Amino acid sequence: MDQLEIGDSPRQGWGPLSEDAPALACARAGGRIVPGEAAAAAPQLDWFDCNCGFGVPAKPFGSVFASPADLLDELDFCGVGEGLVFHLAQQHESPQTGNELLLAETAGQPRLHPTWAILPPQTEWKAGEFLEQMKRRGVGALRAYPEEDRYRLDGVTFGSLLEELVGRRIPLLLGPQWQTVGEVLRDFPDLTLVVVNHSDWGDDRLFRPLIERYTRLYLDTSNYQLERGLADFVRRYGAERLLYGSGSPNLQMGAAMLTLAHADIPDEAKAAIAGGNLRRLLSEVHL
Amino acid sequence: MKNDSQIAAEFMAAGRSKSCPVIDMHGHYGYFHGIYFPKPCADGMLETMDRCGVTCIVCSSHSSLVDMERGNREMAEVVSQHPGRFYAYRTINPNYPKTAAKEIARFPEDPGFVGFKFHPSSHSYPVTGASYVPALEYANEHRLLVLSHCWGQSDTDGPKLFSKVVGKYPSATFLLGHSGYGEWEAAFAVARKFPNTYLELTAATRVSGIIARMVAEVGSEKVVFGTDLPWFDPHYGIGSVCFSRIADEDRRNILYRNAERLLAPFRGSGSGAPATAPRDAVCSRKLRFRPS
Repeated sequence: MDQLEIGDSPRQGWGPLSEDAPALACARAGGRIVPGEAAAAAPQLDWFDCNCGFGVPAKPFGSVFASPADLLDELDFCGVGEGLVFHLAQQHESPQTGNELLLAETAGQPRLHPTWAILPPQTEWKAGEFLEQMKRRGVGALRAYPEEDRYRLDGVTFGSLLEELVGRRIPLLLGPQWQTVGEVLRDFPDLTLVVVNHSDWGDDRLFRPLIERYTRLYLDTSNYQLERGLADFVRRYGAERLLYGSGSPNLQMGAAMLTLAHADIPDEAKAAIAGGNLRRLLSEVHL
Repeated sequence: MKNDSQIAAEFMAAGRSKSCPVIDMHGHYGYFHGIYFPKPCADGMLETMDRCGVTCIVCSSHSSLVDMERGNREMAEVVSQHPGRFYAYRTINPNYPKTAAKEIARFPEDPGFVGFKFHPSSHSYPVTGASYVPALEYANEHRLLVLSHCWGQSDTDGPKLFSKVVGKYPSATFLLGHSGYGEWEAAFAVARKFPNTYLELTAATRVSGIIARMVAEVGSEKVVFGTDLPWFDPHYGIGSVCFSRIADEDRRNILYRNAERLLAPFRGSGSGAPATAPRDAVCSRKLRFRPS
């Protein structure tokens, strides 16, 4: 089996301020940050966005990134090196159309790593053929849209494909449909599942039991807005289960960046979440 | 990285900006159903505010959304313990007009209160309803702030409803909480038309591009920052402001200048002095009931 190769990206993360930038002077003293003393600077982070995309939406939610160039412009504006990307047509139109568009439009863009959307083998794609296509065309991760495409993401429908995903450690990205998450992991506890775009009401009570039970369940941080949520999570479960994601083009790319950059967690944890964990997951993929 | 904002650079480097403080105009306090909060009371909120460079916050307690007397009392206690860091809105529940009248009458008793909080969606009562009128008249007479939940397509607090209200009370200042989330253009129209109406950013900050649209269509002078703390980490919203395609002067207006101007009349009421009571004195009573 071939190991997926992830392109090296230039380090474009936010570093410490240059010498001529205004010195910031804050430090913790007795639990308070006191102006005039030095604050802990953010570490150099090598950002890899696990959840970003482009395409023309039928009904825009936020910004419109119609093309890869638009997405790359935003990545550059924010200092993000790479992205694991989707095409909006995969969700809003069809996986058949969107998968092909994504590959065509990201060709020659080494910073953009495509994901494909799945469909049931009973109606569309047999697991073996689908995986062969993934291998041949360099797709190392998948997304599922069970509501939009009207299927059940479970062993009955996707058993053959999910078994292959487990064996090949191919990540599957899914929205915050927690009942589905629980059911698919009950049947395939070793599946590498990344839940993206969880609710801004805070889904901790829904995902923490699953995090404790299933060791290959991961969360993206695109909408993990909960006050001190990242720190609270990392303290309990470590940093390995979180992946920086922006949720672009719907969500503001820099929001989750600043949240992570100054979460009250060790620098090593920030580096892992910013990109290290995703790189590790993708390096484990065998097509 | 092509964002040349000095403010963004400062926040990314240090988590706060010496030159750009943050004032949070939309906070809450305490526990609430449906969501896990790690530390939702004064101690935790102040830690987070310090970490993010938030100098002060204006809150209504979650309890006040259910039982306004109990909740407003709780908020008064918090404000008295942390003058200058916590300010408060007095919540009005229109389903209890007699109690609301008492709460309005109590307004002068508690320093640090800057106006009223309406949550028409939670109370299933339209912002145009008669039970809000006494509070609106009082706010108008005393030049107070009114922060109201304002959500797109809502039949109780959708932005179009505010166009029927805010013009009647020109001396009150209205903050459209969440900026009419999802029904943006209608909220923009109200903020553009009425000088006494501002857009407030809580939850809206997640939506990419929306802050730049606000600035372009309404002007940064009419946008204030908020987080729903202890719901949302301030850095999430600040990050959104920092990475919006706007100028640093707009960022300053949004993050603190507009709020400073709005809060200036109230700064005399208990501002500046260091807190003398231990943090979390109020919340500690609740903590007794938490599982260890």
